[in-house]
Order: sequence, then structure tokens, then C-alpha cells
Amino acid sequence: MSSNRILTMSRAGREALDWEMERRDEIFCMGEDVFKFGGIFGTMDGFGAKYGPERVISTPISETGFIGMAAGAAMAGMHPVIDLAYIDFIGVCYNVLLNTASKTHYMSGGAVKVPMTLLIGTGGGYNNAAQHSQCLHATVAHIPGAKVVYPSNAYDAKGMLHTALRDENFVIFLTHKGTAGVGWMGTPIKTTLSEVPDGPYEVPFGKVKVYREGTDVTIVGLGMSVHESLKAADALAKDGISAEVVDLRSLVPLDRDGIMESVSKTGRLIVTDEDYMSYGVSGEIIASVVERDPTVFKKPPVRVTTPDIPIPFARPMEQAILPLAPRIADAARKLMA
Amino acid sequence: MIPADLWDEDDKTGSIVLWLYADGAKVKQGDLIAEVLVEKVTLELEAPATGTLRIQVEPEVVVNKGDTVAVIE
Amino acid sequence: MTLTPELRRGFLEKMALSRAFDDAMIALYWEGKVPIFAFGAGPLPGELHCSNGAEPIGAGVCGALSADDMITADHRPHHVAVCRGVDLDRMSAELLGKKAGLSQGKGGHMHIYDPAVNFASSGIIAEGMAPAAGMALARRLQKKPGVAVTFLGEGAANQGAFHEVMNMVGLWKLPVITVVQDNEWGVSTAKSESTAIERNSDRAAGYGMAGEYVDSNDPDDIYEAAARAVKRARDGLGGTILELKTARLAGHFMGDQQGYIPEQMKQADPIPLYRAKLIRDGVITEAQADAIQAAATERMAKAMQFAKDAPYPDASEAFDHVFAA
Repeated sequence: MSSNRILTMSRAGREALDWEMERRDEIFCMGEDVFKFGGIFGTMDGFGAKYGPERVISTPISETGFIGMAAGAAMAGMHPVIDLAYIDFIGVCYNVLLNTASKTHYMSGGAVKVPMTLLIGTGGGYNNAAQHSQCLHATVAHIPGAKVVYPSNAYDAKGMLHTALRDENFVIFLTHKGTAGVGWMGTPIKTTLSEVPDGPYEVPFGKVKVYREGTDVTIVGLGMSVHESLKAADALAKDGISAEVVDLRSLVPLDRDGIMESVSKTGRLIVTDEDYMSYGVSGEIIASVVERDPTVFKKPPVRVTTPDIPIPFARPMEQAILPLAPRIADAARKLMA
Repeated sequence: MIPADLWDEDDKTGSIVLWLYADGAKVKQGDLIAEVLVEKVTLELEAPATGTLRIQVEPEVVVNKGDTVAVIE
Repeated sequence: MTLTPELRRGFLEKMALSRAFDDAMIALYWEGKVPIFAFGAGPLPGELHCSNGAEPIGAGVCGALSADDMITADHRPHHVAVCRGVDLDRMSAELLGKKAGLSQGKGGHMHIYDPAVNFASSGIIAEGMAPAAGMALARRLQKKPGVAVTFLGEGAANQGAFHEVMNMVGLWKLPVITVVQDNEWGVSTAKSESTAIERNSDRAAGYGMAGEYVDSNDPDDIYEAAARAVKRARDGLGGTILELKTARLAGHFMGDQQGYIPEQMKQADPIPLYRAKLIRDGVITEAQADAIQAAATERMAKAMQFAKDAPYPDASEAFDHVFAA
């Protein structure tokens, strides 16, 4: 391979998993259709042929069963990598996440580890209605004992997957469907693509990434909302407004100081989040800043999120409720007025 | 050039969705250089030679079999 | 595996120790909870689900297992844990919430983990089933021996997880023995009020695996059925649903007055019956039986003393172990 390759998140993640699987027998893949289809984002594309059905296990449609089995296998020394396709499906296996994978290490006083990586696709924007378009990252980030990461570009996708696969904990690895760069979601968004080194590398959890530096307003986002924020920042630049775009990258652990650092500089905060507004990440980010120093704000902080309604199917309704670039830019202009 | 055997049906068109190298990058023969989407299927375009990639067709433009999409100098 | 006198004497020893454990915990449980009952009061706080009456299952099934095998138990884990050889001192300390406990006071009685003997339990009904299957899968991938045994109640067989996991165990011929402990009651709901068929072991046919019902709360019968299931599992013939008729003599949990149990459904205590049987069969004498009982009481007294003497964890330790470092 030549260097300076530009990859999608999907291809970058696949490289990390392939590299680790080649070297570590304890890693195996499980999920519906993974043997033939390679997972929702192709993270296991071609692995069936390469690693065989013992290590790339297609399961029945039984999420409670196979994710619970993964937890047991992890307790017995393996590191399962599970493809759960859409996060909307956590309802049928939530007990495993809530009560076993996330709590066994704690309840055993550290005697039993549950190293497993759960790959999940999130988000909407492609007219798939209320049961296949949710983000729900706050719902999983609320559980103590589960790490929750959410890369938004190819470089981070590869590095954070290496980190997840070497972590001894239960890691929920989220990817917004629109950012992955897969065939069924159109042309990849340019800002999700990165130059990706051939070899392995780790991107640590719990550090925000400043995607774009600015001085007037901080726009915090994660997953797809990072890219909408970048689009908004381009538009704002034409109006003479300098926006700083901060990617959270990781919800658990959360880099509260990194957010504070940016807001201290700009004095204005917009939190963009495709998850529902109430009781979620947007409130958590604002609270983190307020707890540190409420006087940092020149204007009250603003949330640009999906409202507290199920995701509608029809395009005009869905596009109106998602936290897309025009809404973010409008919010910034109001903050600067 | 889009190889004639990249996809089966001659009457179907495709589109490049992604160049895996920037314009002007050095590539080696056999490197995966582009993803081509035909209907819902993603296909892979390999570099036929070693050299400097000069991209002639941007993503989202319709391409046919036999079209020249880049030159390797 | 034959039913030797040594094995049978061992069953009585294990059952006596398990009963001594529960009786000691029950006695301690009421300290601080009379006249006003509150789960959180006294030296042994929280809910307490005791195993009195189910000891033959622990003795008989664990007697058929080897050190490689793996166990997941449920919210009523004491009889299985004691018979498996979980560290008695540290388990006792765990129930009292002490630093010396198996989980350093973070688990309590429903969450017993002792990796030294491949033992884990979960307080969520049927939640141990899938991890047990996963442990068996892990051993298969690691090319190491090991049968997984998951213990649940007859009420848990109506959880969705039961269907999903049994199907996969059957599909992949995993060496998993599902021990359904039929004590006739899911809290206050009788089996006949919750379950469409009389025997959950009959469901095995729907998953392409063996099913067996043992209609006696006697460790000899349980051992023989368990040994057959273990042999099938080790021979690569897959899993078994092993349903065992047993007793729940101390209610669903402490404080359960069991007014809902009709007189004709009162259950017998299996330990005196087995003791009499061993004496009748000439395996032990009356005096030896008394000595077994005394040894169990003494061992438990020592464990309880260890637990009582152990210090509590510091409150700040609550923040440890959320994640593995």
C-alpha cells in the first residue's frame, strides 16, 4: 500500500479490527449476518472467508441471547466484537448492557473483567422513520460501567477501535450511519474522510478534538453533528463569525475540561446533538461548563438538537427537526447579535 | 479507465464515490484507489500502474465502462 | 461416574454445610429487623433469598462436575456456591458487606463471583443463561475443556432469554446444562399459574436437545441425571435441560410469610430424609451423621466469625472498580 491513503470510517475501522484479529486469538466477531455481510458498516467485510465461521459467527435474531453470550465469553477470557446494526435495537437486549456487561466488573470487586466491544450504528436523516433513525447515545452513556465512544472521522475510527479492542472494559462503539462512508448512504461526507496510516495506532478515549479553531463561538458536537457544525462554520465565516468546532469523540469518559477550555476562549456555546434534547448530552455539556464557571458565558448557552419527538418519516418533517447546518448557523448568528 | 469487467451489465452506469488518494499522490500498481458505486453495490478500482495519480473525474459524476477517470503518470 | 459411599457421604456434608450457611445467615438477618422490619436494617442488610430445601441440587449437580466446568447461578445462589466450593469465609463476609468479601462488599448475596472455582451469579432472572452459553463458546474457541451449567428457577423458564439461549445452545450443540430448579413457586405464583406445560424439560425437544425431569429432591437421583447430562456434553452431544423437583422452605425471601401456600403443598425437608437414607443404607452411622452435622455447624461458625470480624470497606472505595484499569 502507498502512504497518504484517504479512507472512509468504514474502511479505517475494518483495518483496525483486521490487524487485531490477525494477532489475537481471543478476538472473535458475532452478530446477525456478519459472516456473509460483514456487519452494518463492513467492519468485518471479508472476515468470514479470512477467519472462518468459528471466529466470525452469524447468529440467529436473538440479541438478548448472543450479546449475553458475548458477555459470558468475555468473562471466560475472550474479547468478543459484536455488531448490533442499529441502536434502535438495544431495546431487545438492554438488560445485558444494563445489568451484566456494565456491572460485572464492579459487582465482583474487580475479580471478573468483561472486555467486549459493541459496534452500533446510530442516527437518521435518510427517511427510515422512528424505529430506525434514533441516536440514543445518552441512553447508553447513562449506564455506569460502560465506555461510550463516538468517532466522527476515519482517522479516529481506526485509532479508537484499536483502543477499544485493547481495553479491558465493555466499550460501546457508536458510528453515525451517515458518516461511515458506506454504499447505501450516498457519497461520503468529505470531512469524515482522513488520511489513515497503514499501521496500528491508538486514539485515547476522553479527549475532545478541536476540528476547527475559532474565536467567537464554540460549537460542540458529536458524530454527524460535527459535520453539520463544520458546514455551519463555513457559512458563518462568510458572515465574519469565527466558530470553533469541537468534537466530543467520547461520551464516557467525557472531556469536560476540554469543552471548558474552548468555551473559556469564546464565551459562547452551542451544543449540537442529533439525540433527543431532554435529559441528554446537550444538557450535560452545558451543566459541565456552568459547574466550572458560569461567568464564562457572554450569552446563555444554546442547544440545537432533535426535539423530544419520534423521528418523522417524510423528508420535509425529518429535515426540519434534525440539527442541520442552517439551524446551527442561525443559532450562532442570534448569539452574536 | 473503468475496466469492462468491473460490473456485469453493460447498460448500467456507475459513479465514483471516493478517491482513496488525493490528486497528485504517488500510487503503486494494485493499490485500491477508488470506490465506484453501481446501484447499491460498492466496487473497488485498482491502480493499473505505478506513478502519480491525476484525477480527471470527481465523485458523483456518472461514469460508464471504458471511461477514463484518472491518469497515472 | 458411580454413586460411591464416599460421594454420598460428601453429598450429606455439602448439604449440611449449605444449610448451616443459610441458617446462620437467617439468624443474623433478623438482628435489627424486629419488631420493625426494614430490608436495609441490621448487620445483614438487603434482600435475602435462602436456599433451604434446594441443597440436594447443589450437592448432586456440583458432584458431577470437574474443576474445568463453569457455573452461573441466580438470585438464590447459596446452595450451588457452597457445594461448588466457593470460598466460604469470603462469601460470608460478602453477605455482610465486608471488605474481605469476595467482591469487597460490592456484590452482596445475589452477586457471588469466585473465579477460582468458575462461579458467577446474577440477580436478574434468567440473566445467567446467556453468559453460561458464552463461557462454553469461549472454551470451544480456546480449544479447552469445560461444560457450563446455568441454574435457574422454574419461573425463569418463562423469560425471553430462555428461548433465545436454548435455541442457540441447541443450534450450536454447546456443552451447556440448564438446571431448572422447580420449587413450584415464582414468588407467589405457582408453576401451574405461570407455565403452559407441566415440565419445562419437555421444551428441550423444541431446541433439539435432551431434556430430563427428576421428580425427587434426592442428591443421588440428581447426581445420576446430572452425570448423564455432563457425559452428553463432554461427548459433543450438546446441551440438556435438566429440571429438578425441589423445595423452597424459607420463602421467596426473608420476610415472606408464604400465606399463599396451601396446606397440601407444604414441602418436605430433604436433609433429614437423606440422612435417614444413608443410615438405612449403612453408608454412615447415626453418630457419624451427628458428626457431619457438628462439623458443618462448626465450619460455618468459623466463617461467620471471620465475616463479623472483618472491617467494612471505606466509603471512598465505592468509586473503585467501575472500570478495569
